[in-house]
Amino acid sequence: MRGEELKGHLDAMLLAALEGGPRHGYAVIDALRQSTGGKLDLPTGTIYPALRRLEQAGLITGSWSVVAGRRRRDYELTPAGRQALSGRRADWRDFSAMVTAALEGSPWPSPA
Amino acid sequence: MAQPRLITGYLSALSAQLPAPVVAELADGLYETHLHYLRQGLDPDAAARAAVAEFGEPSLVIAGYAAVSPARRVARRLMATGPLVGACWVTALITGRAWAWPVQPAVFLLAGVVLLASIGLIVSAVAGPGYRSVVRAGLAGCAGVTALDAFLVVAVPLTAPAISWITSLALAASLTRLMFSARSLRWCLADAAFNLR
Repeated sequence: MRGEELKGHLDAMLLAALEGGPRHGYAVIDALRQSTGGKLDLPTGTIYPALRRLEQAGLITGSWSVVAGRRRRDYELTPAGRQALSGRRADWRDFSAMVTAALEGSPWPSPA
Repeated sequence: MAQPRLITGYLSALSAQLPAPVVAELADGLYETHLHYLRQGLDPDAAARAAVAEFGEPSLVIAGYAAVSPARRVARRLMATGPLVGACWVTALITGRAWAWPVQPAVFLLAGVVLLASIGLIVSAVAGPGYRSVVRAGLAGCAGVTALDAFLVVAVPLTAPAISWITSLALAASLTRLMFSARSLRWCLADAAFNLR
């Protein structure tokens, strides 16, 4: 998927990649790649500013460690981040169901 | 392990613009990416080329950090609210016949210069691609606007013969913006503290 198409969804994807526990930047990217079957097509370097933005927004929190003599920043979800992820998931389900219904001519799923 | 020159050169390009902790984090990611390609069987130079290509142009990464810098956020808000506050003051000064107030023309001139410089700095902070230039321009623009607001809030009630409703509105707008500027300074200081870690 191209970068332009991902805009607006990247934050939710990054939050989802951190749902399983703390990860450093490269591990987040790796998790995203694996979960998308390698279809994520974004310059890796642009993921880091996005993580910084989420940290500024209080949705994730970062801490420094030293691994193999290198400084590494690990991120984890904050309670606000978990709540935001849950909201984004619900929004995405509604949105994708609506677009699928419109594109494929299938009826809008009625609430159970 | 010695890093290929391509990787050290890439990191040097980032270091020229980005704070040291940010570059340290990116360096860790770039080394991991390099290792990933080495594990796939590429020789060190080919792995470095693949890692750098995967990371994207340094200018793209720098622009990404410039976009999320608090200085740009502050500049965007000042740009969005500036025309409204400015319109209030222009109306207040014209309807209050400010040219007849006991104020030296040099004061008007100085205020005009500060205003124009601040607008230029704010536009540069909103549109500029470089991280350091965005931070400097954003902070300087915010300082200029703060100085103007403080001057107006203090000088106009002391100088104007009467305070009309539009002058009151302009004063309220400047006071609100002063409070916003103080908050903005906190964001920028928090970012600066991160960048010193």
